[in-house]
Order: sequence, then C-alpha cells, then structure tokens
Amino acid sequence: MWLFLANSLSAQLEYRANFVGSVLASFGEVAVGLLGLVLFFGASDRLGGWTFPQAALVLGFFMLAESFISVLLQPNLNRIAEQVRLGTMDFNLLKPVDAQFLVSTRQVNVFRLSDAVVGLLVIGWAAPRLPDLTWGGALLAALLFASALVMVYSVWFMLSTTAFWFVKVQNVTELFNGVFSAGRFPAAAFPAWVRTALTFVVPVAFVTTVPAEAALGRLDAGLALWSPVVALALLAASRLFWTFALRSYTSASS
Amino acid sequence: MRAAASLGRKFRAIFSAQLANMVAYRAELIIWMLSGTLSFIMMAIWISQARAAGGEIGGFTEARFASYFTGTWVTGQLLVVWVAWELDVQIRLGNLSPKLLRPLDPLWEHLSNHLGDRLVRAPFIALLACLPLLLVPGAGFTTDPRVYAAYLLVVALGLLIRFLIEYCIGLLCFWTESATSFSEISWLVYAALGGVFAPLQLYPEALRRVARLTPFPYMVNLPATMLAGDAAWGDVGRGVLVLLGWAAALGTLRLVMWRLGLRRYGAVGA
Repeated sequence: MWLFLANSLSAQLEYRANFVGSVLASFGEVAVGLLGLVLFFGASDRLGGWTFPQAALVLGFFMLAESFISVLLQPNLNRIAEQVRLGTMDFNLLKPVDAQFLVSTRQVNVFRLSDAVVGLLVIGWAAPRLPDLTWGGALLAALLFASALVMVYSVWFMLSTTAFWFVKVQNVTELFNGVFSAGRFPAAAFPAWVRTALTFVVPVAFVTTVPAEAALGRLDAGLALWSPVVALALLAASRLFWTFALRSYTSASS
Repeated sequence: MRAAASLGRKFRAIFSAQLANMVAYRAELIIWMLSGTLSFIMMAIWISQARAAGGEIGGFTEARFASYFTGTWVTGQLLVVWVAWELDVQIRLGNLSPKLLRPLDPLWEHLSNHLGDRLVRAPFIALLACLPLLLVPGAGFTTDPRVYAAYLLVVALGLLIRFLIEYCIGLLCFWTESATSFSEISWLVYAALGGVFAPLQLYPEALRRVARLTPFPYMVNLPATMLAGDAAWGDVGRGVLVLLGWAAALGTLRLVMWRLGLRRYGAVGA
C-alpha cells in the first residue's frame, strides 16, 4: 500500500496547479455548510435543537468524511467503470492479490487531504465551545466515525460495482453525493420523515450526526450499537455483490 | 442580413444535432437532475425551522418556503452549465483544433448543446417540481401567464450569463491547468449570493449588499420569487436591465479572452 501511495504522490506533484484547485474546493465545501449555519442561526437560535458549535461539530465530521471519499474512494472506485469499459479490469483479476483490495487502494488523491485539514479546523473551533464534550465521548465518537467510514466505503463500492452491468456509472456516485450532502447538518434539523429516511434508508445520519451526538454524550445506546452492525452488514454485502458481479463479468476478449 | 441568415441556418443545423445527442443520453440526465439536491435540503430544513418557530420565519411560512425553494430548484435546473469542463478537455487535449476549421465560432455549438439539453430536461423538471408543491399544503406556483412569459425572458438572460461566465472560466485553460476548480467556486458564489440557501430577505444585510453588486440575485432569487408569485413588476423590469448589462459586459470579455487565447494556443504549436 505504501508503494501505491508513493506512486500517486509523485504523479500528482507534476500538477502543482491542482493543489491550488483542491484547496479552493475544500474551502468551497466548508463554505456551503458554514453559510447554511450562519443563515439558520441568523433566523433563530437553535437548529433542530442544536446550538451553533454543536452543529459545527457535525459539519467538521462531514468534512472529514468528504476527505475520506475524495482521497481514497473517488480516485479508485470511479476507475472501476473505466476499467470495465476498456477491459483492463482483467489485469486486476490476474494479479495474485485480492482484486477488491486492489481496485480499492490503487490510487490516492493526496491533495484532497485539505478537506480533512479544514474539517479538523472546524472541529477545533467548536470543541472548546462545547461544555458537554468529554474524553470518553470523543473516543466513542472516533470509533463510531471509523465504523461510519466503513459504511461509506461499502455503499460507494457497491455503487461502483454496478459498472459491471451499466458501464457508465460516474453519475451514480454523483447521486450519492447529492444525498450525502444532507449530512452537513444535524439530522434533527430535518422534518421527522426525512430524518428517518436519512437514518435507516440511506445511513447518512450515522456518518456525521451520530458521532457528533456521541461526542456530546447525548447518544442513546441503541444507535451506538447499531452503527457497527450496519457497517459490518454493508461491508459483507459489498463483498457478496463484488463476487456476484465478477461472475457476470465477461472480460475483454469473450 | 445575409450573414445573419447564414448564421441562423448554421445554428439550426448544429442545434438539431445537439438535441439528438441529448435525447440519447436522457437516463444520465435524470441522474444529474436528482443530484441537484441543495434546494431540497434547504427547503426541508427551513420548513422544519419555521415549524419550530411557531409557523413562520421573517414572514415566510412553510408553504412560502416550499414554493420559493421549488422555484430555486427549477431555475437552477434551467441554469445548469458545463461548458467550462468541455472547454477544459478540448483545449488541453487539442480537440479544439479541428473545430477551429469550421466556419463558425465554437461558442454556438456549446450554446446549442445546452439549449438542446433544456428542451429534453423541461418535462422532467415540470414533473419533479409538482412533488413538493403537492406535498406541502398551501404551496404552489403563480397562475398568471404573464409572469411565466417574463420568467422565460429572465431565465434566458440568466442562462446566457451563467454560460458566458463559465465560458470565460473554460478559456482560462489557455493559461492554466486548473480552470475547472474555478468553475466549482463560481457555482458556489452564484448559489450563495443568488439565494439557493435561503430567500435573500433572510440574508444578513452585509451579504445582501455584496449580492446586489453581482448579477446572481437576479438569476436565482428573482425568478424563484416570480414563480412563487411574490415578485413585483418593478423588480422584474430592473432585473432584466441589470441582466442585459451583465450579458453585454461578459460577452465582450469572452470575445477578448477568446482572441487572446487563440493567439496563445497557436503559439504552442497546435
């Protein structure tokens, strides 16, 4: 894996202007969330029962998840579609390494770590303003966030695997981004039925709201237990889906 | 006169080709449409905020929020522009060269591509817009046909301005490799100052003053308010004048950048 990282890094340093681009994009991402918060809190002093620093914590987790997606997931998983189309997927299947591991870890878009930096800045700003924050809560939040990243990976991976049938699926991940962008704000800010959908239909709430609730010590134990269960279930599903997809892959020559 | 007729004929030919192109890719188009969720996310939160505040925020009830944000979504869909990405690819890979041999500025091909997309998109937009309007009690669009006529004019000008801004950003590729990231920023500024996040009346005064210096409020907030049936005719008239001014200025900028860029493009040996 370190080899892959080093290769990606040296390829990307060729394009220095992209660095400026990704920093700009990170600030853009966080600006959407911050502007939303400023407007909501300009009109009332609570957002679905959350204070400004609490909601900012959610935004911080959102930026960290965005960073995970753009650094690790997007560069790899979007290539699955391309490789299926061009037939170069064959090379992955021939190598003596697990193919799912290979297609998931080949490339790293280092520049988008800027999302993570921005996310940490937001969390760093919010943390001292949160009296409810405890070390235990923060630890639990970190664990729940890790489990959330497993969910995000599994969902992305499954969406990308549909490339074996539909070939052109870059847009499907766009759809994911559209839904996922609701995670910028606490789930409680949405009307009840949307909140339910964001928790149980598409697990967006697990990624940003649940870790933030854990950090604030207001998470109910049920959801804390559900998070790893959902994550493992999705991971297993993505594995099954991948092997199923490979069975219907006819490779380049046949 | 002959020149104008010839331009019209060329444009019609390109337009019908681009329309066929867009009809072929309609499945993809629907996915792109669904991914434009920001308006709906904001609608859901503002409605929920209005409920928590006892029915309204700054004069906006649930129904008014729903009408306004459906309006921003419809308008946003009509103003989707991707020309910067296409120019980026064409300039970097050199695909632009054969197009320069044609007796027509490539601008027209891109413009007809976008217009063809709008024609294919329109029925889907109308269908999807009905959902929130039916779901939220009391929400709805205006029934005055004159407003729709004026709306088409305002949105056509708005599209032209978005298109020219993105075209200029795309032309930056003659000088730099990361033009497309400017395109993302430009969308963000347009959405933020245009009023996709909230009706402009709810923005802080300082932000509103900045917004008024740009064409964006007249491209999103104004048409959305018109659809919701809340716009005064005086505002519409002023909006059209402001948009015309911006369109002229950006059209000139585009032409200057195009000329300068082509000289540079030739210089790298293409």
